[in-house]
Amino acid sequence: MSQTWISKEVIMKQHTFSLRRLNLSILFMLIATILILIGCSRDESTSQKTGGTLYLYNWTYYTPESVIEKFEQEFNAKVVLDYFASNEDMFAKLKAGGSGYDIVFPSQDYTSIMMKEKMLLPIDRERIPNLRYISPLVLEKATYDPTMAWSVPYFMGAAGIAVNTVRVHDYPRDWSIFADTRLAGRMSMLDDMREVMGDALVHLGYSVNSTDRAELEEATRLINQRWKPNLVKFDAEGFAKSFASGEFWVVQGYAEAVFEELDPSRWHEVDFILSPEGGPMYLDSMVIPKGAKNVELAHEFINFIHRPEIYAEFLDRFHFPASVHTEAEAFMTVTPFYQGEDLAPFELKHDIGADLELYNTLWQSIRYVN
Amino acid sequence: MKSHEQERRNRRLGVTYSAPMGLWLVLFFLIPLAIIILYSFLRKGLYGGVEPHWSLAAYEQMFNPNFLRVLFRTLWISVVATAITIILALPCGYAIARSRNQVFWLALVIIPFWTNSLIRIYAWIAILSNEGFVNEALRSVGIIRDSLQLMYHQGTVITVLIYMYIPFAILPLFTTIDKFDFQLLEAARDIGATKAQSIFKVLIPNIRSGVVTAVIFTFIPIFGAYTVPLLVGGKDSYMVGNIIVDQVTKTRNWPLASAFSLLITLVSTVGVVWMLVSSAGERARLKTSGNGRGTAEVNS
Amino acid sequence: MRTQQPAKRQIFEPTKLVDPPKGPIGPYRVPRSHVFRDHHWFGFSQIMLVVVILFLFMPLFVVITYSFNASRGMRWTGFSLQWYHQLFTGSRELWRAFGNSFIIALSSAFVATVIGSLAAVGIRWYRFKSRAFIQTLSFLPMILPEVIIGISMLIFFSAIQFPLGMVTIFIAHTTFNLPFVFLLVSARLDEFDFSVIEAARDLGATERQTLIKVIVPSITPGVLSGFLMAITMSLEDFVITFFVSGPGSTTLPLYVYSMIRYGVSPVINALSMVLILSIMLIALLFRRFLKTIAASS
Repeated sequence: MSQTWISKEVIMKQHTFSLRRLNLSILFMLIATILILIGCSRDESTSQKTGGTLYLYNWTYYTPESVIEKFEQEFNAKVVLDYFASNEDMFAKLKAGGSGYDIVFPSQDYTSIMMKEKMLLPIDRERIPNLRYISPLVLEKATYDPTMAWSVPYFMGAAGIAVNTVRVHDYPRDWSIFADTRLAGRMSMLDDMREVMGDALVHLGYSVNSTDRAELEEATRLINQRWKPNLVKFDAEGFAKSFASGEFWVVQGYAEAVFEELDPSRWHEVDFILSPEGGPMYLDSMVIPKGAKNVELAHEFINFIHRPEIYAEFLDRFHFPASVHTEAEAFMTVTPFYQGEDLAPFELKHDIGADLELYNTLWQSIRYVN
Repeated sequence: MKSHEQERRNRRLGVTYSAPMGLWLVLFFLIPLAIIILYSFLRKGLYGGVEPHWSLAAYEQMFNPNFLRVLFRTLWISVVATAITIILALPCGYAIARSRNQVFWLALVIIPFWTNSLIRIYAWIAILSNEGFVNEALRSVGIIRDSLQLMYHQGTVITVLIYMYIPFAILPLFTTIDKFDFQLLEAARDIGATKAQSIFKVLIPNIRSGVVTAVIFTFIPIFGAYTVPLLVGGKDSYMVGNIIVDQVTKTRNWPLASAFSLLITLVSTVGVVWMLVSSAGERARLKTSGNGRGTAEVNS
Repeated sequence: MRTQQPAKRQIFEPTKLVDPPKGPIGPYRVPRSHVFRDHHWFGFSQIMLVVVILFLFMPLFVVITYSFNASRGMRWTGFSLQWYHQLFTGSRELWRAFGNSFIIALSSAFVATVIGSLAAVGIRWYRFKSRAFIQTLSFLPMILPEVIIGISMLIFFSAIQFPLGMVTIFIAHTTFNLPFVFLLVSARLDEFDFSVIEAARDLGATERQTLIKVIVPSITPGVLSGFLMAITMSLEDFVITFFVSGPGSTTLPLYVYSMIRYGVSPVINALSMVLILSIMLIALLFRRFLKTIAASS
């Protein structure tokens, strides 16, 4: 085997040559990093506005940019937004010690859990005069906090069924659409245990919050035997995209997500159904967690967002009905995707405590098995 | 051979050089790991977290047929995906090692990584879905009439996992093949070996450590994959990674999540240690058979 | 400068350091295998390489194409630059997330590279008591599911009352980058003969000189590939970052993931395009430097 002879000197020269280059580039990268860090910290320090900084932990896009900007201008403050995509993610983070947020937007079951776990600061209703606009019907349903001692309702809505009317004709406008074998391979339901089992429960005439083993098992059988064979997947993330692309023709999901993916010229092709049988409903509220740095500004924000004209901006953005607010409807400029009255047969998903284990076990047989 | 003083100096240097990493990992890795192990033996808190009571409930729950089904499914997907990835990566590593523009090809392999992985996964949906590129192309040419169901099943998960982890396989394979002395292949040809024989009996055994590294870098992340089965999988694609995340978030059962992780860690550690030992043995064999790397093994 | 470069890395044998033979082409001769005789298996592997590269770039083309789409969603409705416009005028949160990702990637990769490379040198070349322990320890972060690393770090930080934020993400990223840097530098070290160090010492070099002038240059390719790998993994990471991020420290993957339920806006596609172009630009500028590194290996 041949070898080559390289002199020691050549190797050393070669190495020092590249070493100099290496030094230069390391220097360059260090300088770049330092500059960036300085730039970013400067950005933070100029935001020491007189009003302070508000840290929000919210569902993605749930507060429109226009509303945030108006708030920042009026109160001379800076708003920092962090997003979550599910209650569970948010709660897991907060429970394990994440803190520093001024306002969080949990759904009803997690609001009550956070209350039970003493994770919240009380709401000072004196500082939020706009609470008078909150609908008393909503407060009736919010049995965990009817006096708004710990939470202020933000929006109440429900997931429904979106149907592609170009592809699908002659269909039942309720949960039994998922049993239709003609649509097999073109449907999805949410990857959400309470949602799917809740749908099956109401279809069978039971309550969304049932903890009766026999009822739950019947619901599980319905899902496994009649619905699941027609479903492609359980999807809580991409259902809107799949619907918009024509991949799925019938999806269980949120109206605002589905319509957001479609060009407005095609909105008439979609039939968004809230089943008259009812189903699971959510109520998102604003809470102030322990560890909030700017409680006063948080109260200001809650008050600000419930001004009728501001709240109407929020409703307009997502085409939501004014289910929580009594005055905002007058200020709306668009038609909602569904009406507040359609929510009448729906039930809030309450926290069922330790009985969740029952749901867990049954859901495994639905979700883990093909 | 070496004086005592030199040996002591070597030892001191070794400790100095590796102390920062050792300390860092003990503090920020071992200790959190110990906490997790502890948690797996505690009772589950109602709303997440744990309660300070000993309990083996997590381990009892683990051995339930649904979980085992998911475990085997994950194993199957991982093995298939890893095997295909390595088979594809080998010729690539070889070609890059032999090329004159190594840096150029390596850069090409790495550049897609600088795009966010979620975006790339979404691009796959656009490619494989019923109205996507592949189906449109096949339909317009007339090969098929109805769309092929390419999305939302195990095949999709395997394809996208291969896509995501091929660079992880190519890089270590390239590194090892690059060090390989190609004259050995010529020598083998000279003594009459066929092309295939020289590849399988000369090249492959000598890059074994690279293959081992590639397998480690590929199999383990694939086994613990979470986002890919979530986004492009269907109802038949729920994997172990999904279980663990769901146990932490949806069912709020931290002890069970910890127990699962412990099991997987033990299995992986055994596998990795076995591979390390065998490749260290190979290194030792190489070192003692001649000066430096003058000769290498040729399996006959 | 040298007149030609050898096609392969040469084996450095210090025990054979004698005066090089003089010949017509200078102080070294070119090995026979420089001439590629057999193109057969070489051709097949080249084809495979091109196929795989195309495979890797296919989704990228899709991303870039849709960044010019006139509407959201998967139907192509015409060419438009609106998403680029929105990217540079109306995406405050996106840029904040990107900035966070960038800072963390650079800093954690840098620290991980320094610590990991030093440790690789220490472990590969020297013998000391806790050697095996540290070596095994260095592999472990790679074999745990990311979720568990994330959760355990979250619990750890809350137990010591350390606030979640950029610093905790930095710590987490450095921790999972370390094994990769360590592995890549170790692999590079495997072929490098320790007797060079002894030779340097014999010639009278101090420890510092040995380190700077001999060790560092020779492990540079491994260090560099470790650094690049660390940056890549840090920019990509979602699961671990999710668990240890705090108020105001959203990174790009977190931001994108939280947008999934609401549909990923093509603004992200536009950002991806901008990123790819910038990286290619940087790679082009540093091309000569990269070549030198590759050549000296």
